[in-house]
Amino acid sequence: MYYLGLYIDGESIIHRLDPRVKIVSVIASSILILNGNAVTLAVAGIVLLALIAASRIAPRHILEALRPMLVFFVLIFLLHLLFTDGTPIPPFPSWRFTITYEGLYRGAVITWQFVLLVVAASILTMTTSPTELVNGIERLLRPLKILGVPSHDLAIMISIALRFVPTLLQEIDRIKEAQMARGANFKTGTLAQRTKATASLLLPLVMNSLRKADELSTAMEARAYNRGPRTYMRELRMSLADYAAIAVMVLITGIHMV
Amino acid sequence: MIRVEDLLFKYEKDGEAVLKNIYVDIKEGEYVAIIGPNGCGKTTLIKHFNALLSPSKGEVWVDGMNTKDPDAVPKVRQKVGMVFQNPDNQIVGMTVEEDVSFGPGNLCLSPPEIRDRVERSLALVGMGNHGKRAPHTLSSGEKQLVAIAGVMAMNPKYIVFDEPTAHLDPSGRKRVLKVIRNLNREGITIIHVTHNMDEIVEVTRVIVMNGGGILLSEPPAEVFVKVQLLRDLGLDVPQVTELMWQLRQMGIDVRPEILTLDGAREEISSLIKRRA
Repeated sequence: MYYLGLYIDGESIIHRLDPRVKIVSVIASSILILNGNAVTLAVAGIVLLALIAASRIAPRHILEALRPMLVFFVLIFLLHLLFTDGTPIPPFPSWRFTITYEGLYRGAVITWQFVLLVVAASILTMTTSPTELVNGIERLLRPLKILGVPSHDLAIMISIALRFVPTLLQEIDRIKEAQMARGANFKTGTLAQRTKATASLLLPLVMNSLRKADELSTAMEARAYNRGPRTYMRELRMSLADYAAIAVMVLITGIHMV
Repeated sequence: MIRVEDLLFKYEKDGEAVLKNIYVDIKEGEYVAIIGPNGCGKTTLIKHFNALLSPSKGEVWVDGMNTKDPDAVPKVRQKVGMVFQNPDNQIVGMTVEEDVSFGPGNLCLSPPEIRDRVERSLALVGMGNHGKRAPHTLSSGEKQLVAIAGVMAMNPKYIVFDEPTAHLDPSGRKRVLKVIRNLNREGITIIHVTHNMDEIVEVTRVIVMNGGGILLSEPPAEVFVKVQLLRDLGLDVPQVTELMWQLRQMGIDVRPEILTLDGAREEISSLIKRRA
């Protein structure tokens, strides 16, 4: 399953880049990709392939990240293919839908854009541990403190949310088993019946989560958590490679502008 | 020293007193156990030790600092660490080392100092090689050890354990108890709330609570001989003490205040010699 926690440990140059550089690069390249023409998109594809190679992530993992989006890609492609006006492609007769050269082109371009976006985000999450990612977000948001954005609290919130995802999944299994032991049925019956059975998981799950939250906040308070300033074990530091990466990003953006 | 003076506590202003008329001194280096039936106020009392709760009447002092003083609260929480019952609900970090670094981070220590303390604390509880693991991959016992490391990283003088072994399997329990005893040997004052009397036969003092007050505060041998009293409260006694009590009920003359297996072995073999 693909989610934010999917991190593949490694020692590559991409892994070692400062998370801030990676986050900003992904945002910048997303803007480039969304505004790009065919040439930009082709170049972006090559650059991302080079980054995958440099990060030493098995291409298999990238494909796994793309797979859950497959239906979405096909849908986007078909919608553009079928609903774009223009010159019809000869072999297809003019039927209820007209398949046009323009539609084929637009569909391919837009689908490719989304593929590139998912790949770029995947390279980020696969080469950056959740801890680093949260550190990076916190550090990037820190200047916004003047505007009252509580960057420390946000970082703690994200990290607790991520930390409890697997715990809550285990919890759901436990509740499910406890209810199955008392005769609940989640596998057969009509859709309505199954939905109702699943809904019965919700109440205990919410109750448990609230109790967890209560105990966790007590434990955090006991460990001297407060609204004041705090420090981190890992303070991010930019290396030469990071500055080089920024230079490359600026260069690419510059070329695109021209 | 932690000193509790005439403590009275109510959760609501016109509610019933959960704790009343409590005087306790906990001296440096002690290993104090707190026992009592459910709802007797054990957890409420220990939450006063590090300013999670504030007395409705009376005072709690930690090394001369009043826990009611808001300026003293961070220092009090650094000095008095707490480990709770449910190991899952006290881990904040996405990895073990990140969790252990949470407390020192709150104390605004420098990054190298935090790193140093994280490594030392994890080594101390025998989790030195598990720094990168995610919490959900740990056993309950390991989670509890991480929680202890998280407290140790704050350099506390006192650690309060609230039923730390209640959710653990026997091997996890053994590991955690061993670590607690080692910490006490290294000079950390331990306050240990439990329902399992066999865990606390070697402590320096047992405090028995009932109905929001303190009933007894004596060395374990003197507490556990009062088998009938403890039973009336719905509490157990250590298995060995139970055995001695049963033998005495049968009219066999053994000393009642024996707590350990070794002690029982000696007592019974001397009894056999006397009879022979």
